[in-house]
Amino acid sequence: MAYNFSPDSEPTTRTLLRQVLDTAVPRTPRRARSTRSGCWSLHSAQRDLLETPSSRRQRSQTKMTARRRSHTATSVDRLARVQASGHLEEQTPRTLLKNIILTAPESSIVMPEAVVKLVPSPQVVQPSRRKSSRGSLELQLPELEPPTTLAPGLLAPGRRKQRLRLSEFQQGMDWGHLSQEPRENADASSLTSSLNLTFAMPLQPQSVKRPGLARRPPTRRVVDVGTFLQDLRDTSLTVAPPGESHRTPVATVPMDTVLEDTQPFSQPLAGHSPSVHHSLPCPSPSGAKEVEGAASRRTRSSGPGLQNSYSGPGKPAQLLARKMEEVEAIAMGLPNTSSVSGEDGIEPLQNGVGEEAEESMEESMSVREVEKAAEEQGSARAEEPEGHTEVAAAAGSLGAIEAKEPEGSSEDEDTSASPELPPSTPEFLRTRRLQFPEPAPPPSTAVLPSELPKHLSARIPPRPRIPGSRPRQDPNKAGLNHYAKLFSFYAKMPMEKKAEEMVEKCLDKYFQHLCNDLEVFAAHAGRKTVRPEDLELLLRRQGLVTDQVSLHVLVERHLPLEYRQLLIPCAFSGNSVFPSQ
Amino acid sequence: MMEEEEWSEEQQRFSYLQRLKAAVHYTVGCLCEEVASDKDMQFSKQTIAAISEVTFGQCENFAKDLEMFARHAKRSTINTEDVKLLARRSHSLLKYITEKNEDIAQLNLEKKAKKKKKLEDENRNSVESAEAGVEES
Repeated sequence: MAYNFSPDSEPTTRTLLRQVLDTAVPRTPRRARSTRSGCWSLHSAQRDLLETPSSRRQRSQTKMTARRRSHTATSVDRLARVQASGHLEEQTPRTLLKNIILTAPESSIVMPEAVVKLVPSPQVVQPSRRKSSRGSLELQLPELEPPTTLAPGLLAPGRRKQRLRLSEFQQGMDWGHLSQEPRENADASSLTSSLNLTFAMPLQPQSVKRPGLARRPPTRRVVDVGTFLQDLRDTSLTVAPPGESHRTPVATVPMDTVLEDTQPFSQPLAGHSPSVHHSLPCPSPSGAKEVEGAASRRTRSSGPGLQNSYSGPGKPAQLLARKMEEVEAIAMGLPNTSSVSGEDGIEPLQNGVGEEAEESMEESMSVREVEKAAEEQGSARAEEPEGHTEVAAAAGSLGAIEAKEPEGSSEDEDTSASPELPPSTPEFLRTRRLQFPEPAPPPSTAVLPSELPKHLSARIPPRPRIPGSRPRQDPNKAGLNHYAKLFSFYAKMPMEKKAEEMVEKCLDKYFQHLCNDLEVFAAHAGRKTVRPEDLELLLRRQGLVTDQVSLHVLVERHLPLEYRQLLIPCAFSGNSVFPSQ
Repeated sequence: MMEEEEWSEEQQRFSYLQRLKAAVHYTVGCLCEEVASDKDMQFSKQTIAAISEVTFGQCENFAKDLEMFARHAKRSTINTEDVKLLARRSHSLLKYITEKNEDIAQLNLEKKAKKKKKLEDENRNSVESAEAGVEES
């Protein structure tokens, strides 16, 4: 008898009930059995170290029985009692209480055996209950919800026990099976047992299956692995502290909302989550930097689109309202960009834009992407006469490619802003792209770009700024502004505005370059879609992926679990997955 | 014994590398002399050495990249496409390479045409000779 459980804790309801039952003489025909149990308790008491009242003995007895005797023995004992009670039509409160105590889980969570104990008993109870009332079974199930009076003390431990039970029987568990038993017990006894509440858990199988990830399901969005990985590299290159990547996502989100109040695409978690194959629609957590760039591009590109929508008929009022602000910003920004841009060759940039547009087109066909490409092309066309090739390139490159960074807002963006349905966008994009070099705007959706040039040329004087619009800055580099700020933060030294601008410019070129490479790699393999193999090649050329460090290692190092799963699928089936440290 | 073999292998490899580097250095030196005589400027030895080292390193990179590109395209042979991909960064170089590639392709076509003609001629000759032989006999 090595059991030294000291019941010095406050007497629970169970113990009180035990006391009552043991001390008082039962007046039912089941007296013989109850006395028998009383004899057992006496016997055990002799060996028991506890000299507390009989209630304690009773409790210790049950615990001892759990340990010493076979479970079947106790279950048989219980079975006898329960069956007897089940057969009895008239039941006294005493018997009911006894049933509760016998069949309900123990109050102590220190005893996992209690879990096993309960298993045979419910199964035993079930057939007895079924005999009594079949129809009540169905009725019992809905009763799971409303818990009637219940001792709080029983509730909490019951729940904890419930978890233990669930973890054991998760896989093959028949929820209905287990849920029925408590119902039956509840039916049998007028008092609700703790089983009522404890078995309320199974109604949330989702949370049980993935206890560690019991949150809202992750929204799936199109993911751009390339851009994301580029951003990864970028963060490691520019600043290096790993914490930055953690900072960027938080920082980018408000930034984007500020920058693009009309297009609520939210920056995905920065630097994390290598997105899935481009062919798979998955969230694209491109680096925050790229997101920024994309945001800037998008705002810009959406600006011209806005202008079109602004002038175009039949545009949803929502679109108009949203883009009006952007239009202003762009109108303001365009004269600025003319002064800033200049050296970059026009043709290569345009080509780059065209390529990127095609690449983006070929990649996952998210509506946003299409919209961006459309807008960027339109904006590019519009800016051609003004010589803002850089703007066009900027709008085209990242905006199109990184338009894959879908986050919650992106869906809104897609639904509200996209003028066309996703299925039709690919063709539309292709037609667009083909006509991109030509001055003639494409027939489809080209309403935006067609109206854009006229509008831009018409609107020469900048409009008065609407309060609350985007801050006055270079629209094509607005997204990279955030990255430049991060750069200056980690530089530990004050940076001039010009230096920040240069950093932005370099980032811009860099991202364009990378995306260009991605597209070329895909074409080299005879494909039209960028796949993770292309990205691995890119990373290999950059020296991030070596013979010692594989892509998976990088994924594990830098991505959060949700995104990591997309790239390195692992089976769940009740496992707890922890990221490698 | 095994270690000795490995060591000697390494030595061989090392000496091979050295020879290659020396060859590159010599070629770079010749080219620099040409340029020097062209522009009427002098090249210091350190400059030539630096250039040859950089060239050698770049050659290694190129080789690795070419192999990666070929593997990426699921091929086991390095192709002109791989080379073009490698040279895409420099526009003038890319243009040059593309032109050369086209020239070579043309040459190949011409050669093939010539070979076909030759084969046909030979076939005719052999047939004729066979017939002649038959006739004679």
